[in-house]
Amino acid sequence: MYQLNDQQIDLILSDLRQRGIETESMRMNLLDHICILIENHLEENGDFGQFYATTIRSFYKEELRELEDEARLLMALNKGHLLLSRNQFFLLLFALLIGPFITYDLVWMVQTGPGWFIPAEIWVSTIVFALYPLLVLLVLFLTPDRFDPLIPHRAKILLGGRPLIRVMVMDTVQQ
Amino acid sequence: MTYSPELLKGTLKTIVLKLLTDNKKMYGYEITQKVKELTRDKIQITEGALYPTLHALEADGLVTTEVEYIGKRVRKYYSLSPTGKAATREKLKELTNFMDTMIALLEIKPKMA
Repeated sequence: MYQLNDQQIDLILSDLRQRGIETESMRMNLLDHICILIENHLEENGDFGQFYATTIRSFYKEELRELEDEARLLMALNKGHLLLSRNQFFLLLFALLIGPFITYDLVWMVQTGPGWFIPAEIWVSTIVFALYPLLVLLVLFLTPDRFDPLIPHRAKILLGGRPLIRVMVMDTVQQ
Repeated sequence: MTYSPELLKGTLKTIVLKLLTDNKKMYGYEITQKVKELTRDKIQITEGALYPTLHALEADGLVTTEVEYIGKRVRKYYSLSPTGKAATREKLKELTNFMDTMIALLEIKPKMA
C-alpha cells in the first residue's frame, strides 16, 4: 500500500485547482477519491506522478472542469434557468445589442407612414451605434476554438444559475 | 457487460439515495465500490457522474454532510436528510413505474425463475 505524503497531497490539490475545480467541496471530494485510489492501487515504490496522471485522466472526457459544470447544471435544473447553445447565445446577444436599433428604425418607418422613408441621420446613427457591438459579436462568433478560451464551439451557456451567466464545457453535461 | 452511461444518467440520483437509505452514511469512493459490488461490476459509476450528482443532492437539501479529517485531507460523508427520505420513496416509486412501462412498451417478457 502506497503512503501519500503532505507534499503529494498539496500537489494534487493545486493541480485540481489549476484544472478548474473551483468549489472547495468538490476539490475535497476528488482529493479524497484520488488519494484512496493511489493508496489502494499503487505499489509501495510505484511511480506516483505517472499513476496520478493516469488516474486523473480517467475522471473526465475533455477537461476536469466538466465535473464542476455538470454539478452547476444539475443544481440549476430545479430552478429557473436557460441552457443555450453557442449560436443561440450569440443570437440572443445580437437581439439585445442590435435589436433596439432595428426596432427604432422600424418604429420610425411605421410612424412616418407610407413611403418607408428613414432620414439619413437615423441610418447613420443606427450604423454607428450598432456597428461596434456587431463587430465584437462577429469577431467572437468567427474566432476559432484555439484562440477563444472564453466561448469554445462545444460550450453551452447557462443563464439563471450562479453566477448569472456561465459558459460551460458540455461533454458530460446532461441535457 | 457494463451498461452505457446514457442508461444510467436518469437513475443515478435514485441509486445514490437508495444506497444512503440502506447504509446510513457513505463517502464518494465507498458509493462507487458498493454499486460495483452489488451489481457484480455491471454498473460502474464514474467520478465524473457521481460527484456532480452528490453536489446537486446536497444543494437540493436531500442529503446532509459531515466531514472527517484524515491528515491533510477531508472525507465527506453523505447521509439522507428527512426531505431526502421522502424523496427516495417518491423516486423509487417513479422508477418502478417507469420500468413497468418500459417492459410493457418494449414487450419484454419477464424471465421465468
